[in-house]
Amino acid sequence: MCASRKPSLEQMGLKNIFIAIVAVVAIGTGAWLSFLLATPPSAPQTATVLPVTAQLPDFSLLDQDNQAIGRDVFAGHWNLVFFGFTQCPDICPLTLQVLADAKQQLAAQGQTPLPRIVLVSVDPERDTPDVLGSYVSHFGDDNLGITGELQELRKLTTALGIFFEKSAIDGKNYSVDHSAVVLVIDPRGQFHAIFGAPHDASNFVHDMPIIMAGR
Amino acid sequence: MRRIQVAVLAVVLAACSADDAPLVATDVVVTEPRPGTQMTAGYLALSNNSAQPITITRVLSSEFASVEMHESVIEDGVARMYPLGELTVPDGGKVTFEPGGKHLMLTQPTADSDSVSLEFYAGEAVVLTVNVPFTE
Repeated sequence: MCASRKPSLEQMGLKNIFIAIVAVVAIGTGAWLSFLLATPPSAPQTATVLPVTAQLPDFSLLDQDNQAIGRDVFAGHWNLVFFGFTQCPDICPLTLQVLADAKQQLAAQGQTPLPRIVLVSVDPERDTPDVLGSYVSHFGDDNLGITGELQELRKLTTALGIFFEKSAIDGKNYSVDHSAVVLVIDPRGQFHAIFGAPHDASNFVHDMPIIMAGR
Repeated sequence: MRRIQVAVLAVVLAACSADDAPLVATDVVVTEPRPGTQMTAGYLALSNNSAQPITITRVLSSEFASVEMHESVIEDGVARMYPLGELTVPDGGKVTFEPGGKHLMLTQPTADSDSVSLEFYAGEAVVLTVNVPFTE
């Protein structure tokens, strides 16, 4: 008489438990991997966040409404600050359009708060508040334009490591060479992070939510 | 010698129809001057379909007092702009004017217009004329 080869009920129970454990582990691993892939990295990819934020110097400049402003003008907003000028045909409008596109994309994905775009003129001789106001409005609402006396402007740019210098194009016209970075000034009015050029909207769309969340 | 070259080029161009023009412009974009400004930039690609290099010596526009060829560069984090003076499109080659690089700088609008015309000169000869509406 042959011994039965059928598994016992006990053996079948163990097998089912084993299969269930494998299934649970597989599903859990899959879910974990999906979570990892779907969760954005928690560090900026392009911007350099300062290890210690920096206080801005005192300065007295003008906004586009010809109102006197100081360093408090940055408080209460996340500011994307670019140093350029309105008579710049290429890099400046290109950068401001990149920032405007980034802001629009951040708004579309429900980001709050949205950063404010700030243009600090490095050509105050030609960029009166009026001229600056029309110009920055072209790139969206709530943008801030800053201009004023050269000496006061130097206080701000020197403290932030921003370079600018007049450059002759021909006998009667001039351009202004200037740093191409975009600075992040946080709602406490502190210099917080820096984006190096060349700029792409996707860099701001990726990094700004992380920077603003303080991650 | 230079005058002879220009004269030869002018004769060659005169003999060409629009279809087999030696110099062709594509992807022409001229942004409307932004509010508060008296200038703008133009971008395009220039293709030289001839067997000789073509040197652009100046560009004129009916709608702007001045058109200059410039190049933007970012050197050590600083944005600079250099005038190009002349620009040679090599025979069978292509030169691209694009944002952040070579561009036309058009200053002092002279007419309230929806479009802009550009005449490219090689010496005294007009080697290319384009007319495009402004891009917003």
